[in-house]
Amino acid sequence: MSQDFTKRGCDLMIGTSGYSYPEWVDAGFYPKGTQSGKMLSVYSKVFSTTELNYTWYQMPKAQAIERMCKNMPKDFYFAAKLTRTMTHEIDPDLWKAQAAQYKDGISPLVQSGQLLAVLLQMPPYFNRSQKNRSYLAYLIDELCSLPLAVEFRHRSWAQDSVFAELEKRKVALVSVDEPDLPNLFPKLDVVTNPDLFYIRFHGRNKDAWGSGSMQKQFDYNYTDKELDEWTDTKLEKMTSKTKKGAIFFNNHVRAQAPENALRLISRLIKTGKIQDRQAEDINGTLNNPFEHS
Amino acid sequence: MERSIIHLNIADFAVAVEKLIDSSLKDYPLIIAPKGSARAVVYDMSEEAFQAGIRKGMPLRKASRICSSSRILPPRFDRYEQAMRDLVKQTLPYSPFVESGEGDGHLFIDITGTSRLFGPPVDVAWRLNKKIKQALSLNPIWSVAPNKLVAKVATRLVKPVGEYIVGAGEEKEFLKPLRIGLIPGIEKADLTRLKEFNFSFVSEVLAMELEHLKISFGKRAMFIHDTIRGVDHSPVLAVTQSKPELRADHEFAEDTNDIQILKSALYILTEKICLVLREKRKAAEKIKIEINYSDGLRNTAQMMIRPVTANELTLYTKTLSLLDRSVKRRIRIRHMSLVCEKYVFPQIQMELFEKTNRKRENIIKTIDEIRSRFGYDAVKPGITKLALQG
Repeated sequence: MSQDFTKRGCDLMIGTSGYSYPEWVDAGFYPKGTQSGKMLSVYSKVFSTTELNYTWYQMPKAQAIERMCKNMPKDFYFAAKLTRTMTHEIDPDLWKAQAAQYKDGISPLVQSGQLLAVLLQMPPYFNRSQKNRSYLAYLIDELCSLPLAVEFRHRSWAQDSVFAELEKRKVALVSVDEPDLPNLFPKLDVVTNPDLFYIRFHGRNKDAWGSGSMQKQFDYNYTDKELDEWTDTKLEKMTSKTKKGAIFFNNHVRAQAPENALRLISRLIKTGKIQDRQAEDINGTLNNPFEHS
Repeated sequence: MERSIIHLNIADFAVAVEKLIDSSLKDYPLIIAPKGSARAVVYDMSEEAFQAGIRKGMPLRKASRICSSSRILPPRFDRYEQAMRDLVKQTLPYSPFVESGEGDGHLFIDITGTSRLFGPPVDVAWRLNKKIKQALSLNPIWSVAPNKLVAKVATRLVKPVGEYIVGAGEEKEFLKPLRIGLIPGIEKADLTRLKEFNFSFVSEVLAMELEHLKISFGKRAMFIHDTIRGVDHSPVLAVTQSKPELRADHEFAEDTNDIQILKSALYILTEKICLVLREKRKAAEKIKIEINYSDGLRNTAQMMIRPVTANELTLYTKTLSLLDRSVKRRIRIRHMSLVCEKYVFPQIQMELFEKTNRKRENIIKTIDEIRSRFGYDAVKPGITKLALQG
């Protein structure tokens, strides 16, 4: 018999990876005519957390982050991706300066207490070589003042020694839901940080994975059965070990991500894993835009 | 519909292209300036040279003194134009709406409505940058914004490397803390006037209502009002869509700075433009002059023509003032171009009081008639003699 996650003292936050997608207007998640600069405020009426995607493309700027937070509810939380120049396009001479720049840029979120985690998303070719291990260790040390979560795409990192090291540093290992492919990181429910677990749903589009097209790779709609694989087993375990849990859907194509996130929430309510009251807390008014479109 | 415009800006474009051609230049501060000319000035410089204090337009002698370790190369505009064509080619798979500057490393790409096909605009911009790096070894600054104006300001902010994303609805807030001089379209005269009010930042001008701006800036008020709020509806032109402009060129047989010869050539150019305008039954509204000096540098000046005209006798009085504005150096001139950047249907309302215009029109009409019967060379205004002899 499952137990209400809140009763165990675990706050669950569910949202999507990024929120600024013009195609979500066509898909009915955002009302017609919503400008990208206004999307976050609409989004925050539905979800209580988001993963900032743009910080991967662009070094965050304190002024812009401050501007973004100004009109957001105080209990809305952000996870922010680490900029690509420290994960995918690493310059050995510049990354340290960039880490410092990143910390400065993200500081308004730290000060307001709205930073859930900084996501270090390592690329598929970032395998567990000696060089990469030491780079990651240095990078984590450099960013240790921030709450961190590391996502591996390469299977070679799925080792107990890696998990133990992350545990020692209180860094959350990102659990991923992605296609079962030979070199990809497996779906695990390992918790390495008692403060936070972090799950990302990328979709299971096996054929388009690695196609180089985001529109194909993340075009996937989770079935109820696939979502239940997590709620019935993995989430049970993970919520019992942490104070907070963050779940993000990255299958953004045609607004499948927000639809799946809302469906996950409603399934959690239905199965008694979270109460309506808690659902309201974590997801505002439980406003489902798809029901009106 | 919300627009998504990508702006690519390759900092120090001429230098970037030269370094690409000759990789041995990579380790040196580089200055692009015409050699062998006593009064040559700097056309472009590398970041190292900029840091050393060298600026565009600085006399080359002074620049060489400031940064003695620098290498100096003459400008090679054909190479820069070729590099621009290569750049455009990389962007075409994403949109047919690609507007490029003239060999200056600036490109606007309109990817509005393509997100279901290519993904989020910001991802397209990043992939484009990556593709250009791989294919051409150039590293453009990129920005994504809802219009050209904001996209251009955004890349200016992160020079010489970087990226900037501005969402629709954020334009005003984005421009608010910036210096007014950073905003494209705000001219020197506007800046001087704003300075008189002790205004240096956009936020200060934003406090002024349109009505207040009108008192000080007259017809410019609306433009300033919209520009500082990041309003810009100008389209990104399609790559196949050349700018609707008329152009006339004159190459001097010998480089010259004799003002009489220049004036003579200018009349020929004015005449050529007006002839085409009359054939099209249009009149010039905006005219630009381009002066190419013998040391490879170029000066331009432009002006609006009010009232619009297709009469060379009238237009010549305007182009003369443009010539006066654009010839600022004592270097000889090799080539002169006159460009009619904007032309419209002429006003049809008759003058209330007959002026000399009617007389001018009759002269031109008669010349046109003679030429249509006996050929262009049958009759030539005396003023053109000097340039034709040269």
